[in-house]
Amino acid sequence: MIRGLARLALAALLAGAGAGPVVANTVYVVSQEGGSLTSVAPPGAAIAVGKGPAQVAAGPDGRLYLTHSDTHAVSVVDGRTGAVLARFPFAGQPFGVAVAPDGRSLFVGDWAGGRVVRLSTATGAVEGHVGVGRDPAALALDGRGRLYVADRESRQVSVVDTATMTRISTVPVGEGPFALALNPAQDLLYVACVRSGDLHAIDTATLKPAGRAILGGMPYGVAVSGDGARILVTNQQGGTLVVLDAALKPVATIPVGRYPEGVAVAGDRAYVANWFSDSVSVIDLTTLAETARLPVGEGPRGLAVLMREAP
Amino acid sequence: MRLLAPTVLLALFAAAVPVTVVSVTPVLAHGPTPQKVDQSVTIAAKPEAVWKVVGTFAAIDTWHPDVAKSEAVDGNAAGGRRKVTLKNGGTLDEGLDEMNDKTFTYSYRLSDADLKALPVSSYSATVTVTPDGAGSKVEWLGRFYRGDTGNEPPEELSDAAGKAAMNAYFANGLKGLKAKVEGGKAK
Repeated sequence: MIRGLARLALAALLAGAGAGPVVANTVYVVSQEGGSLTSVAPPGAAIAVGKGPAQVAAGPDGRLYLTHSDTHAVSVVDGRTGAVLARFPFAGQPFGVAVAPDGRSLFVGDWAGGRVVRLSTATGAVEGHVGVGRDPAALALDGRGRLYVADRESRQVSVVDTATMTRISTVPVGEGPFALALNPAQDLLYVACVRSGDLHAIDTATLKPAGRAILGGMPYGVAVSGDGARILVTNQQGGTLVVLDAALKPVATIPVGRYPEGVAVAGDRAYVANWFSDSVSVIDLTTLAETARLPVGEGPRGLAVLMREAP
Repeated sequence: MRLLAPTVLLALFAAAVPVTVVSVTPVLAHGPTPQKVDQSVTIAAKPEAVWKVVGTFAAIDTWHPDVAKSEAVDGNAAGGRRKVTLKNGGTLDEGLDEMNDKTFTYSYRLSDADLKALPVSSYSATVTVTPDGAGSKVEWLGRFYRGDTGNEPPEELSDAAGKAAMNAYFANGLKGLKAKVEGGKAK
């Protein structure tokens, strides 16, 4: 069960991997225009974190790492107190972010630079980098230290071995791959492609295609339920969260706010960042209905699930 | 910053210089900072009457004062397109993602940027007609990326320039739509 929960965190969009025993989750969203970070589960007040945070990842030690794309910075926030602990300068346009399971390294995609940079979480010092495709968007890190990168303008997913910081493969997908999510077993990677309007599944053992669902619109976020049975995809054009089963057959289409983007799963709830509406929709994964819509800072995009250690 | 001692910072800057060449992002690429455009207008006519004018995607040249001509490519449903030529000479190739004749809403997006038309690299937008008292409200909103999505955009391709141009284009269009529906006259 504990292991299952840790894996659940890995499946959340752009959320860092959790490690160790956990009993509760806190779900955060970053608001790019508002320059804020807000806890949406449990609901909390917005915390000012500096201009333009686009994406966020959670470390195993209660820390959150936020990318500020237009101000060349990665900020470090203590999730428990909301204090901004550090602001690392970043030579590039930081966007996608993931944290190593041991919490010691951070992986940051450089959108304009077409590379992923590894930083020390203690000092922000550059530990290495690897070239990927053009305009790297989401990053997803698995338990083996393999990093998947959605190369938005290269119609592919780059696969990086983080131990050596080398790219070991590229997997062709649709047009405009933006969001990534691993299933709890980590044998499947889901890729949401905003321009071709489809979702691709990749077998992580063979790195071959394992399915495709044509959704239409602009799929901007993807997450997987804790049991792996439901794949959740935001459709920015439709203002909906599309729910698929593991065979990628549609199960439900749930209206949310306008221009939904990031989606994350924690327990039996999904959280959808409604970019245009400045809110987060809370979705009950049992009834597949929206149960709340929480106001957050302007322009919410990325979400992260912070794992809490057992006392 | 309190985790960083000055010496560490110096070392960090030295180490942070990338070995790979950081190229300027081509203007066609989407950037990482989307911007909102949000315009609306009330019209003294039933939603059905407004939809009759605004609901044909490729007929934007019948009501938008900035549009010189618009050509339909495929039908008035998801997958349909319009090639719009603006009076400033720029062109917009736009495709429908959603079209709902029942709820009076459609969503579309730009295919290829033309900075001469609008100083933005990409956008998606939604038009919605809803009842408003005895008349209608038309909302035209969207999400766009500035013309130069790199870190140091020139002023004319900045977020501010994109916001000004997109808001003006949508506002002018809604003004023209209102005049067309209420007055029955073209543009």
